[in-house]
Amino acid sequence: MDFDDTPDQARLRDAVRQFLVDHDSELAHGDGAYLEEPGTDRVEGLRRTQAILFDAGLIGLTWPKDYGGGGGTNAQQAVVNEELHRARVAGPIGHVGLGMCGPTVLGHGSEDQKQRYIRRLLRADDLWCQLFSEPGSGSDLAALRTKAVRHDDGWHIQGQKVWTTLAQHSRYGILLARTNPEAQKHRGLTMFVVDMESPGVTVRPLRQMNGHQSFNEVFLDDVVIDDSERLGDVDDGWRVALTTLMSERMAVGGGGGELGVRSDALVAHAASRLPQLSDDRRRLTIEALGRVLVESLAARYTGYRLQTSVERGGRPGPEASAGKLTAVRVAHATADLGQRLLGDEAVLARSVEGDWRWATSQASTPGIALAGGADEILRNILGERVLGLPPDSARVAPRPTPPSESR
Amino acid sequence: MNFDIDEEQRNFAEHARDFFSEQAGPGTARRLLDEAGDPAPGPRVLAELGFSSLTIPEIAGGVGAELLNMALVAEQAGRQLAGPSLATAARVAVLLEGDEGRLRDVSEGRTVIAVVDGSPAGSSPSMDALSATHFLALDGEDLLLGEGRVSPGEPIDATRGLGFVELTSSEVVCRDARERWERARQVACVVLAAEGLGAADRVVELGIEHARSRETFGRPIGAYQAVKHRLVDDWVAVNQLRSLVWWAAWAADHAPEQLPLAASAAKAYCATTFETACETLIHVLGGIGFTWEHDAHLYWRRAKVDRLLLGDESEHLAAVALQSISAATRAVSGETGTTEVVPV
Ligand SMILES: Cc1cc2nc3c(=O)[nH]c(=O)nc-3n(C[C@H](O)[C@H](O)[C@H](O)COP(=O)(O)OP(=O)(O)OC[C@H]3O[C@@H](n4cnc5c(N)ncnc54)[C@H](O)[C@@H]3O)c2cc1C
Repeated sequence: MDFDDTPDQARLRDAVRQFLVDHDSELAHGDGAYLEEPGTDRVEGLRRTQAILFDAGLIGLTWPKDYGGGGGTNAQQAVVNEELHRARVAGPIGHVGLGMCGPTVLGHGSEDQKQRYIRRLLRADDLWCQLFSEPGSGSDLAALRTKAVRHDDGWHIQGQKVWTTLAQHSRYGILLARTNPEAQKHRGLTMFVVDMESPGVTVRPLRQMNGHQSFNEVFLDDVVIDDSERLGDVDDGWRVALTTLMSERMAVGGGGGELGVRSDALVAHAASRLPQLSDDRRRLTIEALGRVLVESLAARYTGYRLQTSVERGGRPGPEASAGKLTAVRVAHATADLGQRLLGDEAVLARSVEGDWRWATSQASTPGIALAGGADEILRNILGERVLGLPPDSARVAPRPTPPSESR
Repeated sequence: MNFDIDEEQRNFAEHARDFFSEQAGPGTARRLLDEAGDPAPGPRVLAELGFSSLTIPEIAGGVGAELLNMALVAEQAGRQLAGPSLATAARVAVLLEGDEGRLRDVSEGRTVIAVVDGSPAGSSPSMDALSATHFLALDGEDLLLGEGRVSPGEPIDATRGLGFVELTSSEVVCRDARERWERARQVACVVLAAEGLGAADRVVELGIEHARSRETFGRPIGAYQAVKHRLVDDWVAVNQLRSLVWWAAWAADHAPEQLPLAASAAKAYCATTFETACETLIHVLGGIGFTWEHDAHLYWRRAKVDRLLLGDESEHLAAVALQSISAATRAVSGETGTTEVVPV
């Protein structure tokens, strides 16, 4: 056990810190990973930021060197992430590619696909999206109906996806489709890489409750995908999807990262606001702040512990789901307290001084609690696969059940 | 950075686990509610095995281990509701720092020392007072050691040995002892949280076992989400508590400037985690969980008492908040000589 840096890590930390000071003006900033000011669009700035960080070796540190990564350790990445947070650098725009699509291509793609895709993905030269959810299948992902039928010129895709984050900016997506309608529902799926510029792909942005347009409807009308763009075997897409979902949970909270406004921003906000509160209110607020910070520290160090064990033993297990659950809770409590600290102005979406962070974050956390597996689904996964409790009756199928019945 | 214990520590914890499951257990906690006596395994056995002197330096007859190792043992002690608390042992080791003679008496079991909370003239209920031969108390800025008269109150959890202490003799063992007193209390908070961690872990385990086997309406109750999700939430909290306890215990030896915050975080998080886990267990057990014979209430009793010992949740949450704010303010003003206390 050692929460301190090794000498190598300390050197890395110093170098990163210096780099971020030197390049501060070229980078986009923010107080939370996915926190964007309402009414603004800085996708290009965020892409540039990711490219600068990649060129400096700060993105994809743990990814294989052969494909543009740094071949480093999770601990090194954690050092880098801490420094990025300290310098208030905005989270990577390519988070879906980094957290979900990239690991899936690495795990199941051909050498050619890895060579073509990974480096550009890391650098945000190409953004990626995850085409899993459909109108009729979110939690029950394996019930999806988008079809892929094999022809001489490749696979023909017909169907609709929804809630697809970043689709409108993405060059590629990973697509889960049904290739065998006869098979049991988890057994007839196949994963593909789809070029979002292909004929037949229509993307329609959706406006979310926080006002942003991050997710989209995607219509796939006879889109043709070459067989070489398949990830994994035909009808083995569920296994491939599990790689995606596991990486997703590690990326979204499991590794100890924060999903809402970061706690250091909350502390600074509290420091400036507390003196303006009445004595009674101040006392209550201090206790509430303590509670949020303790939860946040607990989540962070639990994520770090998980990273240490992943580093030793390989792939993240179902326990990564716990990190997402708790990170959502922290994000929610942080937004709530931050907003309440605005006092009378807390009823407005922006304080008189122009602080929009808490109101935006409080309107965003309901989505985080759903994306990447709703809280209930994560609790089922933990209950059944970590605690060994029996499954829900509806999912006790008469036929043998695959490893995980829900996303 | 390495956020895991090593193989040697794992083996050590395993050894402690075997020991406490043989030498202690909820049975003793139940018996002590009806008849007065020492908790198991008791102060002398803990001293003989070197568990209570883990953090006392070797030169004073102790083991000279880091607090993290003490926390690992305390976790196992907590699973079995063992007593006296290793929190008291760790606290005494800090309070008598440098006093080789007296520490040797403790290491070798010649004296059993408890720490008096509140005024030495008439204390608040103080932990492990019932089995102590001597007492440490803070009088103004002076650290006193002496003998005392102990009157027990009616216990909720009889394994905590709580009693009102009145010192009958005393000598000053250290002047200007305030800082040391505070640090000793923080160290004790970490160990108490470690005991709570072990107890809460055991409680969740008991709930899971029951939910797997008990059937209603033709299904195991663990299949119902209302039951399953409650157990999951408790399990998640226990796992998070472990992270805080390990961090705090590590900080005591390697990053003392982080100890006050880490100790308060662990203590506060333990308070709710342990209590909630016990409430879940009793509820999930159904009627059997409400009986005197079942162990559930003995853990619940421990939770209800420990959450208030060494400062309640509100005190520690406020400490976390205020220390974080002052660290952030210092960092902004660029004050030198202070490293960042809060890694937020
Ligand atoms: C902001 C955001 C971004 C997203 N981005 C993407 C993306 O990029 N790509 C993508 O493929 N998808 C994405 N999603 C979709 C997301 O994965 C789904 O919304 C999620 O899986 C839930 O599916 P659903 O919306 O169909 O709700 P449903 O599955 O219909 O669930 C509705 C409610 O029922 C509950 N429920 C369902 N089944 C159970 C059960 N067995 N037990 C208990 N309760 C249950 C759920 O917890 C939920 O509260 C995104 C969603 C959001 C909100």
